[in-house]
Amino acid sequence: MPMENAKQSAAESLRKTRTFGKVRCHNPSCMGRIQPEPGARRVKCPTCGMEYRLYWVNPTLPRIRGPVWDVNKEIAAKTFAEKEAAGRIAGKKKGGK
Amino acid sequence: MALDRKIAYVNLTTGDIEIKPIPLSIRKRFLGGRGLDAYLLYNHAPKGVDPMSPDNPLIISAGLLVATCASASARTHVMAKSPLTGLLGSTNMGGFFAPELAWAGFHHLVVTGKAKKPSYLFVHDGTIEILDASDLWGKTTTETQWAIREALGDDEIKSLVIGPAGENLVRFANVMTGIKNSGGRTGMGCVMGAKNLKAVAARGTMDIKIAHPMEALEFNKRFIDQITSAKVNQTQGTLGTPFIWGATNCWGGLRTRNFQYNQLEYADDIEPEHLDEIATETIGPHHMTGCFGCQVHCRAQYRIPSGPYAGRYDEGPEYTSLGAFGAEPGCTSAETVLTGNHLVNQFGMDNLETGSMISWAMELFEEGILSEKDTDGLDLRFGNDAALLEMVERICYRKGWLGDVLADGGIPAAEKIGKGAFDYLIQVKGMNNLHSDERATPALALNIATASRGSDHLRSRPAIDLYHLPEEVLRKIYGTPIPYKGPLSSEHTAYEGKAWMVFWQENCYMAVDCLGICKYHTTFLGATLPNFEDWPKAIYYNTGLEFSPEELWTIAERCNMIERMYNLREGLTRNDLKKGDTLNHRYFDEPCKKGAPDVIGMSIDREKFEKMLNEFYEYKGLDKNGRPKAATLKRLGLEKEPSRLL
Repeated sequence: MPMENAKQSAAESLRKTRTFGKVRCHNPSCMGRIQPEPGARRVKCPTCGMEYRLYWVNPTLPRIRGPVWDVNKEIAAKTFAEKEAAGRIAGKKKGGK
Repeated sequence: MALDRKIAYVNLTTGDIEIKPIPLSIRKRFLGGRGLDAYLLYNHAPKGVDPMSPDNPLIISAGLLVATCASASARTHVMAKSPLTGLLGSTNMGGFFAPELAWAGFHHLVVTGKAKKPSYLFVHDGTIEILDASDLWGKTTTETQWAIREALGDDEIKSLVIGPAGENLVRFANVMTGIKNSGGRTGMGCVMGAKNLKAVAARGTMDIKIAHPMEALEFNKRFIDQITSAKVNQTQGTLGTPFIWGATNCWGGLRTRNFQYNQLEYADDIEPEHLDEIATETIGPHHMTGCFGCQVHCRAQYRIPSGPYAGRYDEGPEYTSLGAFGAEPGCTSAETVLTGNHLVNQFGMDNLETGSMISWAMELFEEGILSEKDTDGLDLRFGNDAALLEMVERICYRKGWLGDVLADGGIPAAEKIGKGAFDYLIQVKGMNNLHSDERATPALALNIATASRGSDHLRSRPAIDLYHLPEEVLRKIYGTPIPYKGPLSSEHTAYEGKAWMVFWQENCYMAVDCLGICKYHTTFLGATLPNFEDWPKAIYYNTGLEFSPEELWTIAERCNMIERMYNLREGLTRNDLKKGDTLNHRYFDEPCKKGAPDVIGMSIDREKFEKMLNEFYEYKGLDKNGRPKAATLKRLGLEKEPSRLL
């Protein structure tokens, strides 16, 4: 058998980087790891304040199901207003040029 | 041996069928599946051929490892000149057809000509027959498959079929096998319809001898462990691909209301977790099933819970159907998504293109570019579930002026509608984008702009860019098998290093498409899944062919380059909005309005985008116009194409 089998591939070696029991905040500038209580239905990011609904694939694998709309919408609306006031939202063309 | 599988040339006009072996020298250069299909298309399609013409070759294939001991080796690939884009037509599907084709003795079929009456091919144990499909014409995709089994008296027959949309030459008609496995993109079902080819049925009992069977099985155990231990695959096996939709909608990466927004708010009813809760059809703890040889089981099953189609069984919906019948038309009803998914599956129509076309028409309607006269009285506003489903049927059967116009695809439809309608069309190379919004993700924007079959997420998308992985992890992935010392950024809103990631993924996806392995078993949605270093072992143990990871990379580069050469021959130019490597102006001009704080206000920076595109061209060995340099063609052994060796 000429194939080198004992050596791990790069992909295999990355398995040790997997984390369990945590989710990442979906806010791109944050992306912090959040550890919810086992079985929790909601979790709030301690860093940026975004709040999420959770789904548990299995007891060690939580996934973010979706945002808590009212909380995150409020954060989004505030951010939009701030960016708009600061002139950081360039261009508002819609559809046709 | 997998290498013994043959190629057949079928001329539907004359009825001639020629069967040949596939030379090892060609295998070593293009492997099989999509890569070898691209070689065949470049060599057999006349330059400038009308996609509807009998001269447009339709190529159907099974990947090199299909039906071997390698996991998830179930992929069928179909290629021809696209009636939707006028460029490369290419589509890939799971299910059970490809293994049956391989057991029947074939890896590649090249179908030319046009049958005088509706026909289908029956491929079985080394032979091919052309049979009458007059009784099948008009049937839906599942009716057709069951009717073929009944007619031929064998319930194990697997068929690749078209539905009414293909028969009616809808330019984004798909090919289907099983309940929902779809070769959806670029209108390959339309090419079949233009040839009067209703189906290709396969049944095989010819063994595939494995080169080193014990080692192949042992290695596959390791492969399976790698696959099933991945968190992403455990999630997919519970919720299917819609789990991505939920996550994407969370941060504002979802194309909504034809790109006016990037998030569908309060969409809880169509979240995959809710679909799981209301699904009554189940084979396990969740409502999932899978393709041949796969351990992930990402395919959901359901019955429509309510409405006019209540009780109908189907599979899915995939991420794309949540976009097509949810976010894009602004609908938040599970019943609508499940019904829309069922209709396109039965009609044999690309869900992604269908949803995009209707949503585009909805925006045109709200902008006054389309009127109620154009819609025959239909109130085509966003959020009108009934109008959405009505339009699906109108497109399939080309009913009314608008149904007929939309069935011809975005660019021809924009020309017929006029009044600046093209500016609202979110497409690349004539094909609509996935229902994702790439304004906050430059790498993904570059991916859709340069994908060989038009805007597409399955050609070069570095989806793991969204995971904020540490740089050392990124270096381990993107620095193998070819060393890469340039910049890499964990930040998905950045532009630095993204061109290399797209180039790497382009080669990664080409390699799996040549092998016939599903993309959920490689570095697509999971960072720890097999890629270039793992595949040579699977290839060697199963077929006896020896490649190094670097050699596999070069083969993938070669296959991607011949696809590029085909597109260039058919008119691709860098900055052409209809046939080029560029994006609709809305990506650059309209900022995101919803989602996570950092996403709000984001759009693609045109200057940085062009710089990224230049880098991508350099990695591929293209000049600034996107044409291959002579040295690149020589390095890849493509300087004498078309070589007409097969």
